[in-house]
Amino acid sequence: MALVVEGLDVRFLTRDGVVQALSDVSFRIEPGDVLVVVGESGCGKSVLAHALLRLLPANARMTGRVTLRGTVLTDLPEAQMAQLRGRAIALIPQSAATALNPVLPIGTQLREIARARGLSWNIARKELESILSRLGLDFDRIQGMYPHQLSGGMQQRIVNAAAMLGRPALVVADEPTYGLDPELVDQMASLLLEIPKGGSALLVITHDLHFARRLGGRIALMYGSFLVELRPSQQFFSGPLHPYGRGLLAALPDNGLQEIPGSPPSLTALPEGCPFAPRCRYSSYVCLNNIPALVPLDRTGRDAVRCVLYAAG
Amino acid sequence: MMSSTVKIRFPGAAEKGIRGLAGLGMARRLPPTALPIAVVAVLVAAALAADVIRPWDDRHVDLTRMLQAPSLAHPMGTDSLGRDLLAQVLHGLRVSFTVSAGAALLAVVIGTAVGLAAGMLGGKVDFIVMRAVDVFQAQNHFLLSVLIAVLFRPLLGPAGAIMMAVALTHWTTITRIVRAQLLSLREQPFVAAAVNLGLSRSQVVLRHYIPHLLPAITLAFVLLVPHAIFHESGLSFLGLGMPPHQASLGSLLAESRQTLLSGSWWMIVFPGGTIFCAAAAIGMLGEYWRTRLHPRWRSELDVD
Amino acid sequence: MTQCGVFCMLQVEHVAKAYTNGRTPVPVLADVSLTVAPGERVGLVGRSGAGKSTLARIMALLMPPDRGTVTVDGVLIQRWGFALPAPLRRQVQLIWQSPRTSTNPRYSLRQIMEEPLLGLDRDARRRASARLAQLQERAGLTPELLARHPHAVSDGQLQRACVVRALLVEPKYLICDEFTAMHDASTQATLLHTIAEEQERTGMGIVLMTHDHRLARHWCHRIVELSGGRLVEVTGHRSTA
Repeated sequence: MALVVEGLDVRFLTRDGVVQALSDVSFRIEPGDVLVVVGESGCGKSVLAHALLRLLPANARMTGRVTLRGTVLTDLPEAQMAQLRGRAIALIPQSAATALNPVLPIGTQLREIARARGLSWNIARKELESILSRLGLDFDRIQGMYPHQLSGGMQQRIVNAAAMLGRPALVVADEPTYGLDPELVDQMASLLLEIPKGGSALLVITHDLHFARRLGGRIALMYGSFLVELRPSQQFFSGPLHPYGRGLLAALPDNGLQEIPGSPPSLTALPEGCPFAPRCRYSSYVCLNNIPALVPLDRTGRDAVRCVLYAAG
Repeated sequence: MMSSTVKIRFPGAAEKGIRGLAGLGMARRLPPTALPIAVVAVLVAAALAADVIRPWDDRHVDLTRMLQAPSLAHPMGTDSLGRDLLAQVLHGLRVSFTVSAGAALLAVVIGTAVGLAAGMLGGKVDFIVMRAVDVFQAQNHFLLSVLIAVLFRPLLGPAGAIMMAVALTHWTTITRIVRAQLLSLREQPFVAAAVNLGLSRSQVVLRHYIPHLLPAITLAFVLLVPHAIFHESGLSFLGLGMPPHQASLGSLLAESRQTLLSGSWWMIVFPGGTIFCAAAAIGMLGEYWRTRLHPRWRSELDVD
Repeated sequence: MTQCGVFCMLQVEHVAKAYTNGRTPVPVLADVSLTVAPGERVGLVGRSGAGKSTLARIMALLMPPDRGTVTVDGVLIQRWGFALPAPLRRQVQLIWQSPRTSTNPRYSLRQIMEEPLLGLDRDARRRASARLAQLQERAGLTPELLARHPHAVSDGQLQRACVVRALLVEPKYLICDEFTAMHDASTQATLLHTIAEEQERTGMGIVLMTHDHRLARHWCHRIVELSGGRLVEVTGHRSTA
């Protein structure tokens, strides 16, 4: 069990009120698995990456438990957390170009990362050679080059390779397709899927449904700070259970561009009860006043839905 | 470690206040501006209440009390004509404040107007303005201010001359700031959107340019005041400043030159010290404000 | 309302534009010609950097081309930006790619959406205010959002406000620049329906710039592709959406 998140709740105390970013978020990712967190703007998913790494600002309040390979992260002293961040968890930034230092050659930067991961350069170098060649790059050729001498695609591959180095327990990719052309989105998915092959657990946060589908693995759908559906990707896309999931897929052009009436709630003013109830055609009194629990769909407890329609009994 | 560009902003140094003061046992929530604000408040109050605290009549000469060291009756001592120095300092402070604030304001008005013209009209106007800025900035600005003060004295009187002197030597900084801001503002999509919506030029200036410029302009004004105080003091020291019956702190310093050799330290220390305190306090406030403005780290969250 | 008759269209002909990067001009548009008729939906696809945003600005009368002409309902455009009279500027509205940069963060959503009213006289303003309330509701903006500032709302909500702002002006032509970049599937659906309903009511012509081919195929009557600085009609597409 690589990553276990239980009851993660994150809120921010701001001038404009309390921003409830994550509520009761629970999921598990096995080593070598892919979990894709999907949601629209304003659902809170973009806080998840920073919450897992405990890089939240001072006005954040986090409760719940995050466990990585047996170590509980949520109450770890900062010094140890900092060590873990470099070694056990890797974060792939939105834009590779801004992540690479323009004044240092690639080799030097990779060396820095290897050191941060606690790896000797000999071992790291061999691993990098193998990873990069899998991604279509020759380490010897590029190590002396500077980032601007390489294409955007190559930079992205280097950044991904760096994330894979040392086989961290968890790799988090936060909106990796931001600003990317549709042709390159597919490439990005292939690149990212190399990561779990090395044994790391991969968590991808995105709003791009096509990209999410391409990644496979499992889908965690978020709405109004809650996790509302957690299912294998293929099953989700062929038949979403949660009414929001259904509405979301129906809104795709291929499916008729159907509207969901109303608009998503503000995280500073979440409704009582189910966050989707005001817009849901199946909602009832119960939905409007009670937040449904995340109910497991089978014995293993890996798949779940948060909706009264599926609650047992 | 590489980090993502998720839009979460972290509280910057400004938010944290001075931890050190807390260590000194002072109130934990004391912001770093507490001391300068207190100083400025006291000085401004004193200047405003000068007539009440210590009414001043420059004809009230008492030669029996010449050059007395500070005492209970005269906390700042007396001058060479037996007049109370505290009263002179208080009234001088008021004159210094008004003249400096006026000078700074004039500099800001000129600078903004010119900067707006250059930024908005562009082309030849911009070119001429920037060359004018170059010319003015190339001068030694104290010498230039002396020249301007001398030139304008007969026309505008001593106060006016000082204001012109300071304004004409300092407008360039503000013009540069305003023009730079305008050039980047002009490219902003929200300005283009306003044009698209059919707003007139003046509407765009009022709605989109001025609000963005106001913090920078006000900051420039605040930072200019201590500068103006020094200039005014300098000019007065050279005899180009305020006349004796409207003495400013600088004029008092000028007068103290004659009494230097007699060991009357209070004649220099009190006026000089007041200039320093006023300028330093206002300057500190301005600097603190400046660090809060660029870049502005706010503890708000962009949740997406 | 329109006296343009057979000349009712937004037309760009042989438009070229290059950006000067220091000394070397970087050509963006080589020879672009496009006509948009009232009631029509033209999809414009192309890779990022192909020049879609440049073309959008030219068509919205904000920026002059280096060569070529732009004609709106028979009126040849010879001045641009501020120099153009306000009523003419309002004929073509642009919905920007990023709602964050096309709104002034100092103003609340209500103020942002009411900005178009500033240029109108009292009667027009009254009528427009009524329509504003309707549009806000249609676009899914709840009243409590209106008082908020951009930093306190999500991208999706801000984009809704931008669409309302543009539609309030009742333009003859609407250019949507990379709508889909925001990727909120449900917001996109709502906004496209809102725009479509407005089109039904006013008969405006629409250009939808996107790199989502599926969206263009579903929603637009015809599709053109911007590539190599030129526009090419994409054949084999017919939609009755």
